[in-house]
Amino acid sequence: MSAIMLALPSKGRLQEEAMALFAGSGLAIERPGGARSYLGEMAAMPEVVVRFLSASEIARELIRGTIDVGITGEDLIHESAETGPAQVRIVKRLGFGRADVVVAVPDAWIDVTTMDDLSDVAADFRARHGRWLRVATKYLNLTRRHFAQAGIAEYRIVESLGATEAAPASGAADLIVDITTTGSTLQANGLRVITDGVMLESEAVLMVSRNAGWEGARRSTLDALLQKIGAEPF
Amino acid sequence: MGVLKPAMSAETRREALKSLVSGEGVNFVTTPILIPPAPYFDLAGEEFGARLILTTGADGAEFCLRPDFTLPIAIEHLKSGAATPAAYGYLGPIFRQRTDGPAEFDQAGLELLAAPDADAALDQVIAFARAALDIYGITHPAIRVGSIDLFEALLAKADMPDVWRPRIRARFGHPEAMSRLLTRLANPHKPAPGPEGMPVSDIADWVSELLLTNGLSLTESRGPEEIAIRYLEKQALEAAHVPEATIALLREYLAIAGDADAALSAVETLADANGIVLDAPLQAARQRLAQLRNGGRLNGLVFDAGFSPRLDYYTGITFEMAGAGGEVLVSGGQYDRLLRRLGAGSDVPSVGCALWVDRLEKEAGR
Repeated sequence: MSAIMLALPSKGRLQEEAMALFAGSGLAIERPGGARSYLGEMAAMPEVVVRFLSASEIARELIRGTIDVGITGEDLIHESAETGPAQVRIVKRLGFGRADVVVAVPDAWIDVTTMDDLSDVAADFRARHGRWLRVATKYLNLTRRHFAQAGIAEYRIVESLGATEAAPASGAADLIVDITTTGSTLQANGLRVITDGVMLESEAVLMVSRNAGWEGARRSTLDALLQKIGAEPF
Repeated sequence: MGVLKPAMSAETRREALKSLVSGEGVNFVTTPILIPPAPYFDLAGEEFGARLILTTGADGAEFCLRPDFTLPIAIEHLKSGAATPAAYGYLGPIFRQRTDGPAEFDQAGLELLAAPDADAALDQVIAFARAALDIYGITHPAIRVGSIDLFEALLAKADMPDVWRPRIRARFGHPEAMSRLLTRLANPHKPAPGPEGMPVSDIADWVSELLLTNGLSLTESRGPEEIAIRYLEKQALEAAHVPEATIALLREYLAIAGDADAALSAVETLADANGIVLDAPLQAARQRLAQLRNGGRLNGLVFDAGFSPRLDYYTGITFEMAGAGGEVLVSGGQYDRLLRRLGAGSDVPSVGCALWVDRLEKEAGR
């Protein structure tokens, strides 16, 4: 078997940019079943099977090794599994789909401008309020890592799967960790990114799964694909 | 040293361990495996929470797989009355997310709650740990000891604004976080530009307005007063900072580690040089080290001033025992604040230790 599976995001800007990237390298992708089909074909390299999946599914399956190569947001690799980044290799950073995962506090917290400030607030919080400082986010792994690096242990995560920026106003949390491109949503909700609160400057990346089998002909297909698209060798 | 290979088989060792944890006067308990995770999050926060293996019931209820025995035992104990002396033994699987071993592994241990004589209770726990090590042929463990009491006593007497004491305490047991904080205290951030000489009440009014404009509650999270006070405190840090001598004292103290007697003498010398009297906690630490030394079969007794679990319910001393392989085989210590944190009216003397059964078995096969 020499076939490998390439997964691309199934909708939006990410999909358009990813398709354009391959087309620009002479690897145009056709969708024989029409634009809504979840299967694609690469005429120049028929041994590359193309599938269109949701961005988070691509991250999850790359980590498991059921997808060989894929394009998705770097943030999703961090969030699908704690050791997700170690399960894949980024072979090309793509420059689109940029967004930052940041720590944002209420603008009214005029005393909090850095993670160090937050660590003081967290250390005092339970004694003052009888509960842990609460952080709303869907970025559990990134938050835990960034807070641990800042020496903060005295907090709890409130998992939030949407409209995270509303959590402080609704009383669900005291501050948030969220993804932002321009910061305008945060601003509109009276939140401010703290100075060393950028956890990840995320963008779309081309990744190879370390957990897929890379023997023989499959490896040659992969090497050829990466070379044509100007990616680092795996 | 001519240590005899243990004659026992793995099965016999396991049986012997089972007898030890269900010995006379010890209540052998089997706590449920599927339990609510809230008490762990409440006590230990997100850092330990990240190690839990979580699952959700059909009705949305959260569960975790038991990550230890101590907490379920303490919670059950509270129901029977916090002040009732009790000894609990256990042996069985616990479950934690970890990168250095399988998520399921066996733990055994002994917990003595509300014992009338704290010294005798510590002796019993140490004897239990020694007996368990003996089963696995580890006759000369290396012991590492830390003292929470001693650090708390030093912190209470060191010269600094009070506001910093709890924040420094919160970082005890976490060397990187502590070092980061001490470095910052030595070189405080420049305060953010803002109103100078404004009274707290005016700043609080300003903060109130900001909070309300943004639709935030004045009471549910940090209040205007709290923010204003900390704002001023931050402005003042450059003027009324933690004295350099105090930072040096803390750094030197936390770096003390080595042969127990020499290390405690070093603590005494350091305290004397800084005009701090630590007689009572030092005497207590020496007494406890003597208890750990009982029996005499040791491959070193090290006192490490910075050694502590990073959980604020630990008290007194904390200790670890390792075998020839260097891996920690027994972790134990005193945790008088746990039952109070769980709802008892006051501190309850508590001491115990947990054994890493898989590591013990590995050590026996060496």
